[in-house]
Amino acid sequence: MAEAQVPSTPFDELGELPGRLAATVRSLQAAADVTFGCSEKDAVYREDKLTLYHYRAIAPSANLPPVLIVYALVNRPYMMDLQPDRSLIRRLLELGIDVYLIDWGYVDGADRYTDLNDYINGYLHRCLDVVLRAHQLPATTLLGVCQGGTFSLCYAALHPERVRNLITMVTPVDFQTSDNLLSRWAQSIDVDALVAAHGVVPGEVLNAVYVSLLPFRLLQQKYVNLLDADGDQAQMDNFMRMEKWIFDSPAQAGAAFREFMRWFYQENRLLKGTLEIGGRRVDLRNVRQAVLNVYGKQDHLVPPAASTALESLVGTTDYMALGLDVGHIGMYVSGRSQRELPQAIAYWLQRR
Amino acid sequence: MASDTNPGGDWAAAMQKAQADLLRQWTDMGQSWTRTATAGPGAAAPPPGGVPGSPGASAEGLARHFLQQCEQYLGISRSLWDLVTRSAAVGDAEQRNRAFTEGLGSLQQQFAGLWATTPFGAPGAAPFGGGMTGMAGFPGMQGLAGMPGMPGMPGMTGMTGMPGMAGLPGAFNMPSLGPTREQQESWQRLGQLGARCAQAQMQVSGQWNDIIGKALRELAERLAPRLKSGAVPGSLKEVYDLWVDSAESVYAQAARGAAFVQAQAELTNATSQLRSAQRELLEEWAKQFDLPTRAELNSVHQQLRELKAALAGIRG
Repeated sequence: MAEAQVPSTPFDELGELPGRLAATVRSLQAAADVTFGCSEKDAVYREDKLTLYHYRAIAPSANLPPVLIVYALVNRPYMMDLQPDRSLIRRLLELGIDVYLIDWGYVDGADRYTDLNDYINGYLHRCLDVVLRAHQLPATTLLGVCQGGTFSLCYAALHPERVRNLITMVTPVDFQTSDNLLSRWAQSIDVDALVAAHGVVPGEVLNAVYVSLLPFRLLQQKYVNLLDADGDQAQMDNFMRMEKWIFDSPAQAGAAFREFMRWFYQENRLLKGTLEIGGRRVDLRNVRQAVLNVYGKQDHLVPPAASTALESLVGTTDYMALGLDVGHIGMYVSGRSQRELPQAIAYWLQRR
Repeated sequence: MASDTNPGGDWAAAMQKAQADLLRQWTDMGQSWTRTATAGPGAAAPPPGGVPGSPGASAEGLARHFLQQCEQYLGISRSLWDLVTRSAAVGDAEQRNRAFTEGLGSLQQQFAGLWATTPFGAPGAAPFGGGMTGMAGFPGMQGLAGMPGMPGMPGMTGMTGMPGMAGLPGAFNMPSLGPTREQQESWQRLGQLGARCAQAQMQVSGQWNDIIGKALRELAERLAPRLKSGAVPGSLKEVYDLWVDSAESVYAQAARGAAFVQAQAELTNATSQLRSAQRELLEEWAKQFDLPTRAELNSVHQQLRELKAALAGIRG
């Protein structure tokens, strides 16, 4: 057998590298001024750190009930409206859907005792009050995202009369599926000690957990891959926006974090039907309204099975699961999601 | 672009020239960037909402992080490439395969070292609680090496602050005596927790060392058949990407394993307890100067919360 031939490409690569490095660094520095959010909105309610936003219409109304987006406590909700070509909110507005969004804000040391009851039966409930009053409706559509989807599910089970339709996006329901690495790690964590040590759990702790799920890719390769952009400024701006969002992680109120970790991840109470919020049992069989459950087939944070478990738990017969071939973050910003998801939501809403 | 021929003698000269150029450009960029970063007032301050020291903090921070990652990338890629070229020069296919596989084994320490020195540190270091040495890039997560600068808190490695206790073997387990008994116990607890953290850190490091070793073997399994057939990879980046794929694949298995989960949890839990113990000592010190403490503030927060609930109840 012949001796292997060594290609000359590495010499070319090394020769080109200084120029590519310089171009990439220049583009990164120029990307410092990237902006976030592209749709006009008004703050219609504030309480503590929370702000409820109402987005201004940009198309004739589709005459559908308004959609209240309930985002997760981790990360910031501007991911839903990142830039004109990456905005689920903008796509919904273009389809004539009225959109509200809860921005939980940045908690601080004063929020350490804020618990899940405060978030679900308190803040979320009062935001919905504002929306229902404004539109003189008895109930409307909740669109819960990730952890916000779990909150929305709990809320819909506790207050079914106020939720007309429920859309859950990349929402964990079964927190102990075998492919859930996050859950596997969470089982042995002393949550009491963690919360006692931090009071409010820093966003950096969550960031460290998330990058630890795919450390070689997320801590190194994705930066090395910037070289392939060859200094393309638009690509670098997109990267910078994502980078900002990924690491813009609010701290977590200690009490709520403790309850979420223990009740959901460690004890899987939502699935088992043993969860209580504010002294009331959360029985998912009370969810009898129409449910659209959207999940990412490539989601490594909320594996598909963690979401699709919902079907057998809810009391509704009007349940639809929609799996998109995207990951967790791709659900918000990928081209496929931008093309398919808003249309699917609008279509689904129009038929209910 | 792959060539059909081995460049032979020219390659060393070309490589040296490319490396020299790279080093020069790199140094220039680093200096330029350092000047920029330290130029104006507030240049070192993190932007609102940003994370100092993390890639999300600013474009400057990201540029720095990017350069550091590229350095690692080059280190890894070149080590692998050198091995590929050395192995490829072996005429016999079986020997070529063996040379490559054995060569990978000798890279384990180097790779483990490279990974440990990443600005984020070894990612396996207590992601839930902040690591001891691994999370140096994250603000507020590097505080385990004692409390330098704090009066009466010279650190937790030993009992150097306690008269007559410095360097005594087993000092952490000695019964506490005398008027400073309570303080001695606090320091002993801190020392015990510090030792527990160090032990846990070693376990996590051991896990990472295993992962790197297995990842290199996985890489060998993916590359060796190609070398055997004479089809070497076409570029440094291809070798690097193959390394990342191999490493993630091995990591995905290991990270689910009981040993890894246990080691990581122990480090997280020990770190949490150590932080609490550190804060208790800080609060003792603060009380001596009649300064407010976290415990007092927590008490006020709880009272406020109860008052708000009572008020809401009255309002119906």
